[in-house]
Amino acid sequence: MFPTVPGDFADANGKTRMTTTDSILPPPVGPAPKMRRRRSLAHTKWPVVILFMPPALLIFTVLVILPMGEAAWYSFFHWNGYGEPSKWVDFRNYKLIFKNSAFTKALINNGLIIITSILIQLPLALWLATMVTRKIKGALFFRLIFFLPYVLADVAAGMIWRFVYDGDFGLVAGIFHFFGAQPPFLLANADTAMPAILAVIVWKYFGFHMMLFIAGLQAIDKSILEAADIDGATGWQKFRLVTLPMLGSTVRLSVFFAVIGSLQLFDMIMPLTGGGPANSTQTMVTFLYNFGVTRMQVGFGSAVGVILFIICVTLAFSYKRIFMKND
Amino acid sequence: MASVTLSNIRKSYGALEVIHGVSLNINDGEFVALVGPSGCGKSTLLRMIAGLEEITGGDISIGSEIVNELTPRERNIAMVFQSYALYPHMTVAENMGFNLRLAKRPKAEIEERVTEAARMLDLTELLDRKPSQLSGGQRQRVAMGRAVVRNPAVFLFDEPLSNLDAKLRVQMRSEIKTLHQRVETTSIYVTHDQIEAMTLADRVVVLNKGYIEQEGTPIELYKKPANLFVAAFIGSPAMNLLPATIEAADGVPSVRFSDGTLLPVSKSHHGITPGQKVTVGLRPEHLNPDIGNGAVIKGTALLVEPTGAQSHVVFELGGQHVTAIVDGERDIHHGQTFEAKIDPERVHIFDTETGVAL
Amino acid sequence: MTEISESAPIDAAQSGGEGRKLNVSTQTYLYVSLLIVAGIVIVPLLTTALGGFKTLPDLRGSPFGLPEHWQWSNYTDILMSKRYWLQMGNSLLIAVFTVFLTIVFSACAAFCFAHIRFFGSEYLLNYFLIGLMFPAATAILPLYIRIRDLGLLDTYWGVILPQVAFGLGMSILLFRNYFRNLPQELFDAAFVDGCGYIGFFWHVTMPLSRPIIATVGIIAFVQSWNSYIIPLIMLNSENRYPWPLGIMVYKGEFATEWQLVLAFITLTILPTIIAFFVAQKHIIAGLTAGAVKS
Repeated sequence: MFPTVPGDFADANGKTRMTTTDSILPPPVGPAPKMRRRRSLAHTKWPVVILFMPPALLIFTVLVILPMGEAAWYSFFHWNGYGEPSKWVDFRNYKLIFKNSAFTKALINNGLIIITSILIQLPLALWLATMVTRKIKGALFFRLIFFLPYVLADVAAGMIWRFVYDGDFGLVAGIFHFFGAQPPFLLANADTAMPAILAVIVWKYFGFHMMLFIAGLQAIDKSILEAADIDGATGWQKFRLVTLPMLGSTVRLSVFFAVIGSLQLFDMIMPLTGGGPANSTQTMVTFLYNFGVTRMQVGFGSAVGVILFIICVTLAFSYKRIFMKND
Repeated sequence: MASVTLSNIRKSYGALEVIHGVSLNINDGEFVALVGPSGCGKSTLLRMIAGLEEITGGDISIGSEIVNELTPRERNIAMVFQSYALYPHMTVAENMGFNLRLAKRPKAEIEERVTEAARMLDLTELLDRKPSQLSGGQRQRVAMGRAVVRNPAVFLFDEPLSNLDAKLRVQMRSEIKTLHQRVETTSIYVTHDQIEAMTLADRVVVLNKGYIEQEGTPIELYKKPANLFVAAFIGSPAMNLLPATIEAADGVPSVRFSDGTLLPVSKSHHGITPGQKVTVGLRPEHLNPDIGNGAVIKGTALLVEPTGAQSHVVFELGGQHVTAIVDGERDIHHGQTFEAKIDPERVHIFDTETGVAL
Repeated sequence: MTEISESAPIDAAQSGGEGRKLNVSTQTYLYVSLLIVAGIVIVPLLTTALGGFKTLPDLRGSPFGLPEHWQWSNYTDILMSKRYWLQMGNSLLIAVFTVFLTIVFSACAAFCFAHIRFFGSEYLLNYFLIGLMFPAATAILPLYIRIRDLGLLDTYWGVILPQVAFGLGMSILLFRNYFRNLPQELFDAAFVDGCGYIGFFWHVTMPLSRPIIATVGIIAFVQSWNSYIIPLIMLNSENRYPWPLGIMVYKGEFATEWQLVLAFITLTILPTIIAFFVAQKHIIAGLTAGAVKS
């Protein structure tokens, strides 16, 4: 996903290579070398770059890179977004963030999401993938059904589950009524809201991870499994000793997406709880939204953004470096 | 149509020089094959002629014009690629007419020229197909058709047959030859297959490590290889190369092999002195038990490989393996003593140090 | 790994490794497990759609069952309303422009990265790939201020342009990898035929790139269609809201009248579900391509 920075500078640059070459080599015998040849392709090269590159470069710089840089700058101000930022407050925004219990809660929740993804979602996805890649009727149908929640908008999924969890009208209420019990309001209780949301996250995203595993399983050479058959491996042994080790890169990829996804989670929380009750379901982004955007605390919100940025980049880079360097 | 002249062409990648000053004249209408092992620089040379590769030093002219700085299109060349490089999204007709379309020729002219080329190459039926619907041989013909349509000054072929199976390769080889005889366009043909080069070309240029080893007609190369490299490269099965010492037996120049066998050689060799260590080259097809007046060499037959009309016999001579080609009817078994004769005029002698023919 | 996105991971012919038939107990185990999971996936969706046909007391009484009396009016009222079609139209408009600009900008840039060696090209590519590293939310406040200062607040462009910008990294990467895998000899052949870079881009690269255009287009479309946070921050007027914002407003208005909210949800996700089942192969391939190909 993120190629390493190129080491060979001269190589990326035809012109530099040309001139250094000419000076390193002894001059060719015969007519004097023409130092500046018109390269047959080169003369059409720059017009294309100048025509093709700027739209993407401009919009990306103005709307992605500059805002990120500005976030770093604004994070040292107390600013409501109007006029020029003038009230320099040093690291006060950062101090406030780390003193804020809602932020701590958000960090813990993001961690919980990652742990749930790894401990529940990933095994579930792998288990389902091994089943729907077998030779059974309807495998295609099951794959489609399992992938369906992933295609739905987070907002719609959140809204649907808000209904499911509703203590008056929802499905959970219906089940409790069936057993004659008093239905709980899962999302209104600070103790149950986060577990309820974790369930929705698994429901929404396991299909995506299942597809990754299906791809991984299909990439395994069938004859290797047949060789294991000949060697006398049972079904479970085949899975544990042959299939699973060969899915290593898929597992690492799946965890990577779980981590990235957790750090971005916002759309689904909003219809479910909006971060409440009592900030028990904040994530990094809902915290940024609730405490920075809605109150127009540009400095404070930018500081949250900077922290989020640092976490994302650090995690992505170190994860790639440590776990995915061979993939 | 035009002649092509390379003078002192050099090519470097960074500090690494891969073509070391190659000079070559190709006459108008001539078919020249560039042949050599992989990495010898033949494809690079062709791509430089095409204008796909920058020239580090020297000049290339097509006709009377120096084309170093011209684009491929301005050079008026056509090229047939190893993978054919047909545009997958265009029909055969569109593929063939693409160049003319880019040159903004009128539609009627494009159609006429495509039809004409298709007729010549027996592609008329296939004009509306996409490349994916064609067989390997058909794709090959379309690639040639694309070249023919342009009526270029020079045809360039970059190993065009190497993706075909053996049978089709022989067939396409003769089609290329027929085509050249008909259109008589100057052609430069790159291949690593010496048989392809010999059968197709008026003149063969043998390249090795960025140098020209020898150039000449196929027969010249076969009969008078200039050095060990060419001797080993041209001819199949390859020439037997054996270490020997020059002797003058009764005033007749001879070579003595390590097992003591003495073989008289032609008097026309220059610069050989008795006692000199040399490498002797014997072509398998010249080692024949049946010719009348040759000198005899013999050894134990190690291996007999029948190919039908002929059999290849590998026998031992002074610890070296020597291959001979004999009539397929002849009954030879391994372990027998095999005896072959060779005409002294057909014995090649090379300086072991420099590899140069003596 | 790269194989799957080309031939779509779900392909009935591709399933099934075993040459032998599965025995009955294995089959039973498989089907029971799969059906339970499928039930957990489907039931919330199904009860949502059915709930939209109920009255509020009916919904409270039996959230799982079929409606006592089918309240078609819940649905027809929404379908007759201007707001539903306006929101769908807004989402479509924003998505179409996002897709178009994403494809044009990223294909052009990726072409340079794939075929032209120019000063600093590798650095420039890595510059774009920074965009893959963090979510749009991190810089949302400065982005808001930038869009405001550009005078694009509460316009479609204020949503489209940031969406395009944040989609560029992935799209450029996908396009570049695809372009680089086109045979080099095609480039040579086109060059000999008289194409320059632009001619090659137009006559050869683009016609051959339909699969990757579809992939990038699907990713951009789905992301834009489902997008929430950027429109939430950039738009103020309800008549420009795309549907995810619309749902939230609708829920706010009708708070506990769940039957109406459910009907509204059903109608808003219906296009997605239909599109998914019609073009499942391409959609799954597209949405997993970003994960697997980069």
